[in-house]
Amino acid sequence: MKRLLTIATIAVCSAALLAVGGSYATSLYYAAGHGDACADCHEMAAYVSAVHSSPHHNAGCTDCHDASLSAKLRHIGVHLSGAQPESIRMREVDTRQMIVSCQRCHQHEYVSWHAGPHSATYAEIFANSAHNSKRRLMDDCLRCHGMYFNGAVRDLVQPQNTSGPWHLSRPDLADQPTIPCQACHWIHREGLPETKPASRISVAGPAIPESLAFFDRREEMHFTALSLPIPKLYDGATLLKVSPDQRQSVCYECHAPRQPETNSVAAINHWGEQAGSGDDRTPMGVHEGLSCFSCHNGHNQNARASCKTCHPAMSHCGLDVEKMDTTYANPSSPHNIHWVRCVDCHKHGVPKVRTRMKQTTLSAGQ
Amino acid sequence: MFTRRQFVAASAMAGAALAVGCAKRQRTPWEFLSEPEARTLKAICDQIVPADDFPSASQAGVLTYIDRQLVRHFRSYQESYRRGLQQANLLSKKRFGLDLAAASPQQQFAIVSAIEKQDPHFFELVRTHTLQGYYGSPRHGGNRDAVSWRMLGLAEPPLLGRAQYDLTAGKRS
Amino acid sequence: MNRVNAVVVGAGAAGGIVAKALSTAGLSVVLFERGKWYTANDCRKDDLRNQRTTVLGNAFGPDDEGNPRVWVDVAGATHIALPSEGAYQNNAACVGGGTLSYGAQAWRYLPQDFRMRSTYGAPAGSSLEDWPITYDDLEPFYEKAEYEIGISGDYSGTPFHGPRRRDLPMPPLPPNREFEILEPAAKRLGLHPFHIPMARNSVPYNGRGPCMRCRWCVGFACEVDAKNGSQNTVIPTALATGNCVLHTECMVTEILTDDRGRARGVSWIDEHGHRRQQLSDIVVVSACAIESARLLLNSKSRLFPNGLGNRYDQVGRNLQGHHYTGATGYFDFETYDDVGPGASIAVTDYNHGTPGLCGGGMLANEFIRLPIHMLDRLPGETPRWGPAHKQAMRAYHRRSIVVMGPTQQIPTAAGRVTVDPGVKDKWDLPVARFEGNVHPHTFEIGEIQARRAEAWLKEAGALRTSIGAGKPSLVSAGQHQAGTCRMGDDPHGSVVNKNCQLHDIDNLFVIDSSVHVTNGGFNPVLTIMAIAYFASDSLVRNWKGTQFRS
Repeated sequence: MKRLLTIATIAVCSAALLAVGGSYATSLYYAAGHGDACADCHEMAAYVSAVHSSPHHNAGCTDCHDASLSAKLRHIGVHLSGAQPESIRMREVDTRQMIVSCQRCHQHEYVSWHAGPHSATYAEIFANSAHNSKRRLMDDCLRCHGMYFNGAVRDLVQPQNTSGPWHLSRPDLADQPTIPCQACHWIHREGLPETKPASRISVAGPAIPESLAFFDRREEMHFTALSLPIPKLYDGATLLKVSPDQRQSVCYECHAPRQPETNSVAAINHWGEQAGSGDDRTPMGVHEGLSCFSCHNGHNQNARASCKTCHPAMSHCGLDVEKMDTTYANPSSPHNIHWVRCVDCHKHGVPKVRTRMKQTTLSAGQ
Repeated sequence: MFTRRQFVAASAMAGAALAVGCAKRQRTPWEFLSEPEARTLKAICDQIVPADDFPSASQAGVLTYIDRQLVRHFRSYQESYRRGLQQANLLSKKRFGLDLAAASPQQQFAIVSAIEKQDPHFFELVRTHTLQGYYGSPRHGGNRDAVSWRMLGLAEPPLLGRAQYDLTAGKRS
Repeated sequence: MNRVNAVVVGAGAAGGIVAKALSTAGLSVVLFERGKWYTANDCRKDDLRNQRTTVLGNAFGPDDEGNPRVWVDVAGATHIALPSEGAYQNNAACVGGGTLSYGAQAWRYLPQDFRMRSTYGAPAGSSLEDWPITYDDLEPFYEKAEYEIGISGDYSGTPFHGPRRRDLPMPPLPPNREFEILEPAAKRLGLHPFHIPMARNSVPYNGRGPCMRCRWCVGFACEVDAKNGSQNTVIPTALATGNCVLHTECMVTEILTDDRGRARGVSWIDEHGHRRQQLSDIVVVSACAIESARLLLNSKSRLFPNGLGNRYDQVGRNLQGHHYTGATGYFDFETYDDVGPGASIAVTDYNHGTPGLCGGGMLANEFIRLPIHMLDRLPGETPRWGPAHKQAMRAYHRRSIVVMGPTQQIPTAAGRVTVDPGVKDKWDLPVARFEGNVHPHTFEIGEIQARRAEAWLKEAGALRTSIGAGKPSLVSAGQHQAGTCRMGDDPHGSVVNKNCQLHDIDNLFVIDSSVHVTNGGFNPVLTIMAIAYFASDSLVRNWKGTQFRS
């Protein structure tokens, strides 16, 4: 009996050693040779070649990807069983691990993103009773929140109704972000590393970071900012001036307008797509024509500090521009910063001296 | 239960199968096609959807679409493709003394027109699959970056905002 | 397993409603579905793999593996059809059935549609017949379907509809560009265009939001859940009563009968492949026209050697769908606005009343077209490949309108479903086999309907048109399949009575499109739903405690 126990202990220990050692060994193997070992699997070849022509061409595959024994055994299992998917896709868990990898070099961006609203967690988005009691959750939510989630919304939240109480069927996701780095950034794409800020200032308008791309959950692939649409929008019957800054196209994918609602004034009058409809926040009124990026930086959407770029710290009415109630969440707010008009404050007409401001022309990216 | 010997033998065979399977591929990007077949198919696909100010079929990834599906949903067409591609190449050799892939665009057009009449079954397969790949969903490998949809003026992904409504505010808000 | 009051076979348009009606009335119900409970996430709007474009397979069932059918062409040759092929006549295999991914046009038939033989007389070679019920019998149940399922639309533009007590519960979606082009043209022709009734939320309704007007509608499950089918209305209600159990991926193989010739339950194969039995007081078959007939025909026993309800060789006959014809118009201005669902305007002026024609059909503009749908829809002289084809795609995808419609079919006894003597499916059951063709007069009507569609498009400014009015050489069924267990008073010429009860087995019901005597010149789903409400209403009224006695 004792002998049996000893043998069993030795067997368990050696199996554990083999697993750890093997895992270390495979990681080392795949880390060496700058992706050559990975490209030995023909399924991987295209992806290795893509990253070689990307700004991350100096990084090794294992800097971002798991090459442990268990991961590789899984890959081999899929290969041998002939159950390969049509193409290799990131799983939700992969994108979470990637955030850690990204953070290692892009610390400033990480901190900024983490402090802003785009790092909202699954619990904050999907178990939000203020939202869920007003509107039904649906698979389309996952287009912009949890775009990498592997499943339907019913696999994520229960019950699927407006009475609740709601709980996540995947409690492990509760404190995980719904919009990971790769929601807006495409890693395996051709391009050069970001240039220094000084050289971005040019007459051609703002540079578009080449990694800027929207991850489309439907196709499970990224579409670059340059290929995405900037909508044509109306304010009532009037065509609105929308900044042509192409970086905004990524924002518009989620902060998108809607076709006029049934029986709305816009529908009855056959107006086009309205600014401010759906999730759209295109500036109208005094800020018409400004780009999202005029006030928001890409990673942290807090725009407070940007007011001072154009306005004196104290307005002519004696209000502190950084402390004004400019809530955007309430479309009917008189100070909604996206839609505030001259007459919202100047109830008796716009002072004459101010009308000259209208002459200002806007260039790309303002 | 496995005996130790069976286990070792099975592991060795799995390893060998993997090694052979991978070695045979020789790092081509194709799952079904051989390199010469891919070149012939490219010539035919690019006659069906040629490049103009928008990419040709092969530039948009149509070969990837067809190749992937030939080991998936189009498995039953494997033989038709093998035979059809070989015949097309033979026809080109006979008529112009060149592989179809090496022939001029005019010569390729002549060959594809000839296949349309002589081997309509194979031609219809390639035509249908090429157009599907070029105009279908990018996720399947063709229509890279939704290029054909952009050609038609379709935004991709389209902009679709949420409806702002409140079920607690009554039946119709 | 415990005995229950009712087994319902098939969780589609009709089965879902029956399960809801019975379970809310307090009956214990087991609802069987051979497919899965899919969501929009299972397809993610794939242009090549959905329920309409199936080049890479069906998104919502059945799979191509292990589900063949057999069809016999007009020359008598037999062929195997796979579920992703047209000749298979597929609808769907999933919770919700066709209603998960349909276009959701929700039409009431016209009063004349229930009295086709009295109105026109039966053409030679046809089995045209009147329904044993009238539009007026069904009207309250049409209304119930419109309110419980949720229909948007507006009938006010046309006098050609049956009397109705209430308006639709939702207004139509705002018109798209095709509506605005076609509406004045129809009026100039003296027609009465109006908004298509749709099982689609135009405003928040039934606890769900409105349509987002995307490009992917018919053939896809709705990602905002604004399309109303049985899977997001009646089935959740049925399950919430606690009286209904839903078994998905479970195949009912046979209806069991006792030695007195009454149904005593079903045998079924569960998701792990185990054979099981479910005993019940009543059995309701709601598996759609082809599969319902197949289940009755596959339920052979000593008392019923030819299958259930088939004493007079009626089960499977009168198989009909719709003969779709129409026209494409090509314009020199943009007609495409990328606003779904696209289908928006219809006329019902041509459904009845043309001298010499036995009926007609509704005409409507087609659902929004994906690029893949335009490949073979270009003007007639366009080369089928090469630079000119690519140019034509660019020229016409945004500058074309398709108007078409379902021509009401003239049923024939020869157009039928039987079970194949040789071919079996993955459950080892004989598969459905189709024979027959469309009645020649249907082709004549279809041809005229196509010319009418063309005239409408020309009036709307189409510079060129092309006609689509083929004469397929096989039976027509598809998503609109109907007629195989005809409703009637005469047991020699029909399978069920007007309460959808089998003539010779009083506790066995067929409640779905199988009972349609004729299939109207409209998409049939709202009539299927109304029949389901109608039949389950009489069933519940006749329910006596724990036993069913008619």
